[in-house]
Amino acid sequence: MFGRRDKAQRPSGRHSDEALRLVKVSKSYGEGESAVRALDGVSLSLPRGTFTAVMGPSGSGKTTLLQCAAGLERPDSGIVMVAGEEMSKGSEAELTKFRRRRIGFVFQQYNLLPTLTVAQNTILPLKLAGRRIDKAKARSVLEQVGLGGRLKHRPDELSGGQRQRVAIARALVTEPAVVFADEPTGALDIRSARDVLRLLQEAVRVHGRTVVMVTHDPVAASYADSVVFLADGRLAGHMQRPTVDAVAERLAHLGDDINGHDYAAQGV
Amino acid sequence: MFALALRSVRQRPGRFAATLFSAFLGALIIMTFNSMHDTAAGAGVDDRSAETLTVAASVVGGYGSLLVFFAVASTLTVAVRQRADEIELLRTTGATPAQIKRMVVGEAFAVALLGAALAVIPAMFGGRALLDLFQDSGQVAGSVEHSFGPIALSTGFDITLLASVCAAFLAVRRAGRRTVRKQGRARTFFSYAALGAGALSLASTSAFDGDAEMLMAPAAYGAILLSVCCALLSTRILPVALTVLEGPVTALAGAGGYLTVRNMRQRAAQLSNVLMPLILFTGMAVATLYMQGVENDAVRASGLVKAADAKTLETLNYAVVGIIVAFCCIMLINTLYATTSYRVREFGQQRLAGATPRQVLAMVAAESTVLTVTGVALGSLTGFAGIVAFTSVRTDGLLPGQGLGIWLAVTGIAAAVTIGTSVGTAWRQLRAPAVEAVALAA
Repeated sequence: MFGRRDKAQRPSGRHSDEALRLVKVSKSYGEGESAVRALDGVSLSLPRGTFTAVMGPSGSGKTTLLQCAAGLERPDSGIVMVAGEEMSKGSEAELTKFRRRRIGFVFQQYNLLPTLTVAQNTILPLKLAGRRIDKAKARSVLEQVGLGGRLKHRPDELSGGQRQRVAIARALVTEPAVVFADEPTGALDIRSARDVLRLLQEAVRVHGRTVVMVTHDPVAASYADSVVFLADGRLAGHMQRPTVDAVAERLAHLGDDINGHDYAAQGV
Repeated sequence: MFALALRSVRQRPGRFAATLFSAFLGALIIMTFNSMHDTAAGAGVDDRSAETLTVAASVVGGYGSLLVFFAVASTLTVAVRQRADEIELLRTTGATPAQIKRMVVGEAFAVALLGAALAVIPAMFGGRALLDLFQDSGQVAGSVEHSFGPIALSTGFDITLLASVCAAFLAVRRAGRRTVRKQGRARTFFSYAALGAGALSLASTSAFDGDAEMLMAPAAYGAILLSVCCALLSTRILPVALTVLEGPVTALAGAGGYLTVRNMRQRAAQLSNVLMPLILFTGMAVATLYMQGVENDAVRASGLVKAADAKTLETLNYAVVGIIVAFCCIMLINTLYATTSYRVREFGQQRLAGATPRQVLAMVAAESTVLTVTGVALGSLTGFAGIVAFTSVRTDGLLPGQGLGIWLAVTGIAAAVTIGTSVGTAWRQLRAPAVEAVALAA
């Protein structure tokens, strides 16, 4: 379903096997003495075809990291590169056009348009980008997420888990270089959460997408290939093949770590 | 529950700005015109002055009041609909439907009371200015003193409060139900009632003498009631208009147009609340301005008044009608602003789905264009019905001899106001980052 049928149209991912690169990205909120440094020179590189969880306590800057990387926020300084191309620093319209081809989103609150059906919501990014609508492909993406029988339903007729699966289908239909997910299971019950996480995992393992997911739930993080820890706006650790217990353990001691070590310097 | 109502008004004054403003302006118009009744009843007012004042108060004040009733009611309906989420939240926290009803109706009452109270002092000045107009044109003796009395106060407060409370009651009933898929029975009933009353009112013009000074009143009432009927039926009319306009809209506005058509199909019920002031504005402006033109010509042709007097009389009448038309126009802006500014979250979601700011604006512009076309068409129709009823009795012909100039001007203003307000408000909403816009209303 996420086949690379139209290779010529794909963003210049062919140049690198790097889906996402952040170089010394910083972002502050507020001004003067009350300014809060949400991101403090974060550098990060994620290869294509990986599933990464970003974790950290509340206020550690993980959502800011995601939003800067996804082009929803403009970093104060630093460089964001998606699939080998530097993110546009121009107007919102230019940024939107940059995102359309390269980035997909999944939000905690779904952000589906209530007036559109499931099928219409899914193809909306293609419509807005003026791309050819392949109805059969859209349908197969929706079948893949288990909503083949609900194409004509509206979001308010679906459960939370189903809505999130529509959001995933919408994020995948444009074949983006990176899919960003901000607490995608935050509003879901355990069963629906597991379905959603499996879909994200499948997008990576079967279809070669790259997924970056912010979460504070060690169970959700355990579905990822690796976990990046964040504390006080800095990288505070890295874990391959995470397990629930290991993640929870590391998270619990994150506060102790940041004073002792500087993980950012270790080239995570 | 009334205490909760007052607290919720106090906590979020901004949310009630649109309602308060419409209640204030409505009460101001009613009190200004109806203070002419009080003035006419004053001691030492000669018969001719008293008659002029009474006619102005009952004709313009009369249909003005009806207009205010529907204008205030439609603003309030918009306001209550926008709080569906909050009402749902209250329900899940354990408020009974009766409690929610009391809260929303109580709020509407409090806001309308405040609006009417604020209008009292300005209405005193407004009434004096109106009297000056009459005196300057020689219609009323210069010795007449302006009086602001019980009629102005009671009508001003009564109509504003009644409109607010009725509309809040009906709207909260709708918002309190889980599913609003089906066309409400109340809506159907009211639309046919308005149609019947409007037709009756128009037919009653034939019972008047050709030169009766009250003749304009039933024609204007009829036009207003038919406008209300059209607004209520617009949930059925809009889908038809969309089918016709879908092609051009999608062709002109691209992906924005695609969203427009799908949005409007789903939101026909909400949009009918926006159509109400638009149809009222077009209908009222067209009807009153043409009727006044016909009246002026007829007076001049009759040779009863000297040419110089006829001129001042025309100016006076246009000024009076202009106040009503301006009121309709302000209410239209008020409603459009309130509805568009509420959509910040929707715009944010579209942007997150990959819409550029320009596409969002194109969508809003396309939507306003469809609204304008529908509203102007329906409003012209109702206005035209009023004109024909009036002209056929006042003159020998059926149609006014004023030409298309007035209609074109009214249509132009309606289009400029509708599209300008919506797009301008949306443009302001787009300045907030999309992520914030989505979180804001969540």
